[in-house]
This record gives sequence, structure tokens and C-alpha cells, in this order.
Amino acid sequence: MTFDEIYKTYWQKIFRLCLGYVNDFDWAKDIAQETFIIVWQQLPNFRNESAIGTWIFRIATNNCLRQIKKDKRISKAALPVDLQEEKQVSIEPQIRYLYQCIAELPETDRIIISLELEDVRQAEIAIITGLTEANIRVKIHRIKEKLSQKFKTYEQ
Amino acid sequence: MSSNINFKTLWQQQAVIEPDMKDLMERLQQFKKSNINLLIRTNISLITTSLLIGIIWYYYQPQFITTKIGIVTIILAMVTFLLAQNKMFAQFKKIDNTSDNHQYLQNLLVIGDKQRFLQHTMMNIYFTMLLAGICLYMYEYTSRMTILAGIITYTVTGAWIAFVWFYLRPRTIKKQQARLDDLISKFEGINRQMLDT
Repeated sequence: MTFDEIYKTYWQKIFRLCLGYVNDFDWAKDIAQETFIIVWQQLPNFRNESAIGTWIFRIATNNCLRQIKKDKRISKAALPVDLQEEKQVSIEPQIRYLYQCIAELPETDRIIISLELEDVRQAEIAIITGLTEANIRVKIHRIKEKLSQKFKTYEQ
Repeated sequence: MSSNINFKTLWQQQAVIEPDMKDLMERLQQFKKSNINLLIRTNISLITTSLLIGIIWYYYQPQFITTKIGIVTIILAMVTFLLAQNKMFAQFKKIDNTSDNHQYLQNLLVIGDKQRFLQHTMMNIYFTMLLAGICLYMYEYTSRMTILAGIITYTVTGAWIAFVWFYLRPRTIKKQQARLDDLISKFEGINRQMLDT
């Protein structure tokens, strides 16, 4: 797979993953772009030991985890409501609520649920995160329960 | 509602911006440039100071051995600081981005701890060498002054050194450590989430 193909195939998935992590359009774009810069740099070292998707998701999730280094930005960015941004963000309030709920979860839960919702197999999520498959299964179950609870109260 | 399928559908319905290769390449160029700029910025002031001292040595031809030792000590202090700073900067970049999250967090923590130690030790060494160097360097020039002028010069320098040592040094170290401690504790927090079953 060439970088061009990788970029086109994975951009949306990676962008959504980042958006779920930070719930901020511009910031998510930044992290996603950074991820692809790393992919571009590291691609010659990719040895097919894992699937390319797993490899890219690992880079993306590690990059997300690193974002706490820039945590202060979130409080600054969250204050003014950017109108331009508003147009781009989905109009569907349920979708927005889902992303908001996910961004409020603990960091690792955000990653796990985003990968699950992105249709990544649980065995693969285990490889990406470094946890056991059983552990992932339990965590996904719990996170979904949590989200369902939040949605229940949201709908009422 | 709230079944598995619904979450997935909702998730995947989120509008996303289109991939833009041109934008990405521009970002890549920026990224390369900012990396080089950062390196230049951290190094340029130290290199200039060292060069300046070298020039002084060359033009004023110091007679006393103390002056020469002083100059060497100051340059060494700066070079050590520079090397340590560059090394720390490079460490975070060296982490394997492609390892799994758990391993990645472990690596971040190890590096955080290493940096903590390095920072603390380095700052102490840097300040000690710098201040000792300045005192030695000054000796030749003050010895040519009148006693009163010499006393005044050393008193002023002594006061400045005391200020740097007792106020600036602990403050700088504390500030740097607080930033790192904050980072380490956050990484530890995430790590705990991972292990929490």
C-alpha cells in the first residue's frame, strides 16, 4: 500500500478516533495530521508483522495518549464558541452527544470504544492497546452500558 | 435505542473533513521547519555566549591561570547544559510510536523519570559551574582595581550569585519539575486505567 492509498483509506477513521478522544474539530484534525506525518515517516520501517490498519491505529492512539502534554489547550479552546467550526460539526444532536460522552470517558476507554465503533475486531483492539482480549471484552461491555445510561437520561 | 448497532451508526455518521494531501504536505514542511527552528533557538544563545567568551580570550589575552580556568568552566557549563537539553529533547522523539498503548505509556513513564533526574542534576551542575567560572574569571580584572573597587565588584557579584543560587535556581528547578511531575502523574493515571479490570 502506498502512503497515498493509506491516507485516503484511513483518514476518516483516524479523524473520527481523534474527534472521539478530544471532541474538538480543529484539535482532532491536528492530531490526525500528526498521526499521518508519523505514518509517512515510519512507513519504510513497516515490516508487515501486523496488519497495516493495526499499525496505523497504534500510532494514532499513542498520539492521542500523548495529547495530555498539551492539555492546557483544551480549556482555552473550549471557551469561545467558534462559529465557523459550528458549521462543520454534525448537525445531528445525537451524534454530537455521543462524541461528547465518549470524550468524557477515561482516556483508555475513549480509545477502546472508538476502535470498537470503528469496527475494529476485539482481537485487534487487544493488540493495539496491549491488553488481553478478555479484558477488552469486559471493558467494551462496561463502556457501552455507561453510554446507554447517559443516552437514557439524555432522551428523557 | 442505545444498542450496539445504533452507537456504531451514530459514530460513523459523524461528518468528517475530507483528506487533503496538499494540506498534509504543507503541515509536514512546517513540522520539519519548526523542529529545526526549535533546535536553533535553544542552541544559538549558548553558542553565541561561548563564542563571545572565546573572542574575549583571544583579544584580551588573560595573564592569570584563574581567568583561563574560569573561561573554560563557563564554556563547559554551557556545553554540558546544551548537550543535556538536546538529549532530553530527543528522548521523547525516540519512543517507538508503533508499540502498543500499554508499552508506549511505560516508555513515556521511564523517560519522564529519567528526565526528572537529569533535569535536577543538570541544573545544579550548570549553576555551580557557571557561578564558579564567573568568580574565577573576574579575579584577574578585579585584582588590577583599587581595593575598594574590588570589594564593591565582588560584593555586587556575590549578591547576584546569592540571588541566582538561593532564588532563581530552586525556582527554575521547581518549575521544571512541577511540569514534569504533572505529566508523569497523568501518564500514571492512564496507566492505572489500563490495568484496572
